[in-house]
Amino acid sequence: MVSLRKGQPITDISVLIAGKAGDGVLFTGNVLAKILKRQGWEVVVCRDFPSNIRGEATSTIVRASLDRIYSWGDCVDILLAFDCQAVFKNVQTIVRGGVVFCDGEGVGAMPDHLKKGKTFHRFLLRQLAKENLGQEVYKNMIALGALSYVLDLDTQIIQEIISEMFLQRKGQEIVDKNTRALMLGWEKAREMIVDSECHALTRTEDQDRIILSGDEAIALGALAAGCRFFAAYPICPASEIWQWLAVYLPHFNGAVVQTEDELAAMNMAVGAAYAGARTMTSTSGPGASLMMEAFSLAGMAEVPVVVAHVQRVGPATGTPTKTEQSDIGQWIFGSHGDFPKIVLAPGTVEECFEFTVKAFNLAERYQCPVILMTELDMGQNLRSAREFHFDKIAIDRGRLLSQDELLGLDNFKRYEFAANGISPRALPGMKNGLHMVEGNEHNEKGYRDEDPEIRRRMMDKRMRKLQAAAKDLIGSQVWGDPRARLGILGTGSTLGAIVEAQAQLAKKGIRTKFLQLRTLWPFPVKETEAFLRGCRQVFVVENNFSGQLSRLIKSQVEGCPRFKNIVKYSSLPFKPMDISQRIQRAGR
Amino acid sequence: MKNKDDYHLEDPSWCRGCGLFGVFDAFKRAAAAQDLDPERMVVVTGIGCHGRLNNYFRAYGFHGLHGRVLPVATGVKLSNPGLLVVGVSGDGDAYSIGQGHFIHAARRNVGIVYVVVDNRIFGLTQGQVSPTTEMGFVSISSPYGSKEFPIDGPKLALAAGGTFIARGFSGNVAHLAGLFEKAMNHRGFALIEALSPCVTHNKINTYEWFRKKIYLLEDDPGYHPGDKMEAWTRLQDSRRMPIGLFYQEQKPPFEELVLPDVHKSIAREGLEVDVPRLEKIMEKFR
Repeated sequence: MVSLRKGQPITDISVLIAGKAGDGVLFTGNVLAKILKRQGWEVVVCRDFPSNIRGEATSTIVRASLDRIYSWGDCVDILLAFDCQAVFKNVQTIVRGGVVFCDGEGVGAMPDHLKKGKTFHRFLLRQLAKENLGQEVYKNMIALGALSYVLDLDTQIIQEIISEMFLQRKGQEIVDKNTRALMLGWEKAREMIVDSECHALTRTEDQDRIILSGDEAIALGALAAGCRFFAAYPICPASEIWQWLAVYLPHFNGAVVQTEDELAAMNMAVGAAYAGARTMTSTSGPGASLMMEAFSLAGMAEVPVVVAHVQRVGPATGTPTKTEQSDIGQWIFGSHGDFPKIVLAPGTVEECFEFTVKAFNLAERYQCPVILMTELDMGQNLRSAREFHFDKIAIDRGRLLSQDELLGLDNFKRYEFAANGISPRALPGMKNGLHMVEGNEHNEKGYRDEDPEIRRRMMDKRMRKLQAAAKDLIGSQVWGDPRARLGILGTGSTLGAIVEAQAQLAKKGIRTKFLQLRTLWPFPVKETEAFLRGCRQVFVVENNFSGQLSRLIKSQVEGCPRFKNIVKYSSLPFKPMDISQRIQRAGR
Repeated sequence: MKNKDDYHLEDPSWCRGCGLFGVFDAFKRAAAAQDLDPERMVVVTGIGCHGRLNNYFRAYGFHGLHGRVLPVATGVKLSNPGLLVVGVSGDGDAYSIGQGHFIHAARRNVGIVYVVVDNRIFGLTQGQVSPTTEMGFVSISSPYGSKEFPIDGPKLALAAGGTFIARGFSGNVAHLAGLFEKAMNHRGFALIEALSPCVTHNKINTYEWFRKKIYLLEDDPGYHPGDKMEAWTRLQDSRRMPIGLFYQEQKPPFEELVLPDVHKSIAREGLEVDVPRLEKIMEKFR
């Protein structure tokens, strides 16, 4: 079944699969992404789905490129729609020369200007599935077969993936049926379309690449970093971290608990971390609001706990299945009292993994809560990434005393006024380590103490830890031309669209530099100042209404130039052109 | 053998006559009778007058947030199941702000001794009504009398699947200490509600008032704490107030179910980076 036809060679392609929740849209997209990755392509998936199980419009974009990409791109080459409404809804994103497959009637009723330059094919996926395989569910594999013809995909790879997915779980019969469905789709597409509508995707070596979501990368990072206790409450879009750890932690002598609410999740995490387990919880905005009190406790009691926060659209319940960056200040300013905390913001899947590993070490070194701030777009969407290197991981438990060290001490003080603020730590159950852990202000032994002088010194001691941490934090990264006078600032998953926007602008002769803020707290003041120096124009790009990142920067960096905020709060991630066009317009 | 002074860190500064003295004394007695090592004990307390217990009782101590004793204690127990974990709350801490955790800890049967010191009033905040305050009670938060019906912690625990449900009285230290000892040997979640008069803010539910109402379940030779319906009937008695062990059953404790190996600490063992295994897991993302 190897194609010999000549299609159009391309280096970048986007396929949109659309239908209703329950159609298997996301499944089809994820399988397509995996196939493309194995053909040696870089892949980004962008899913757009409702917060219900069945019935509402759902779509997923699978974008592949020979170059490293991080965003879902600007437009779509191929639309595969499971119904006509999906065509109506998405037709405007299809490029001229694009191809549309639709399982259903009614496309003819569409106004001509929308149809112009695009080819439409009626592709009766459900009917084919029922007639040939007895069940409608095979429509997805038929669709993948059709796409594999259009994109000239390696059907060998697809058959491998089918076996991996179904052989163990469902048996040979299901593998065979899926393979038949795949071939049927391939054949039907061959009968239906002409070569000019096809593409020939180059096959390259898929050497060191994996494909996973940010949530999965965070979970794998936690596992590798020695996380052994995880407590959380179900919430979109963070639950995947937990679902993944629930499978693997028990095999690594770890435990996962589904708590009654986020109050319990955070307090249980604090309890487990206090007793010595490397501990994490994960949540999103609403859950984070409930965790704030215990977050403050972790700061006061100096308990090392890691929180992964995957942002979704707020406020209130917002849109649980869509992306936003509107909780930027939540862990920095959201809880009561002053206490040290570290907030990291990964911008790529690789960083989700690396920063999680680092978070556990930072938490124990500086005995404070560490937050991983990411977004739904990063957390739930699949992206190709370079494989992770586990042999480079070193677990550092900071000033956690061994039993021998503790026995050698005359007068163990859990909250000793250490010069760098980092006091020795013992775990309950250890000999010669009796101490108190207090949410009230306390003395060096941990017992409640309201003496103003003790209070002042203890406050200073805790806050000094951040100075000690300063050199150990993850630095910001500059992308683009470091000498450019046009600066862009951003954080988290907007990285993808920003970097591509930079490339688009460069083609038009506009040189830019982009500061990716990778640690949000303590805020990297010096790096930001250095970046802003010499900038004639500064844009801050963020997925929220009010420019929260922009405000954070201004509150920390003195004498900022005037920022132009590029915000998007439609619940979708940025497209590169959202940014490049804004910058171009501003430059005129 | 230890004696109770081994657990005495400091003389308490509760109001003279506070029921907490009886709870403190009973707790020390039970610990001594069980010959417990203070370094193998963690006492987690909430916010309220009971929260000062950590300052007086010698053991590892954790004084957390209002109402969150049980999640913290659960985290400690799962992190190191070899420890004896004791949670102490007041009636406000356990049944008002922390109610959600209470029934879930009971249903999970996590291995914690949980002492709820019930004085039927908010003492530390100067005398507001609590969820166990009787209807009509006049206080600074209910100047015209409380308009709410009280709830009953042991009944809630029974309904939630609790496996050890007891009530004691801080005016009967020997009996209360006996209940603590039983609870320390119970596998799973052990609730002891300690009726404990507040001499400053509650002039109704005094030692005398309690003494008139209570009787010992143990004095009734026909009572067996294995019968849920019988326990319910006794808890329903509004005229008299039994104290003792209402109900006990054996169910696997949460830590034995949720931890892969209850004898292997998740805090310190097996943390090394297992590169080949992790790489094998990564293969799933190819």
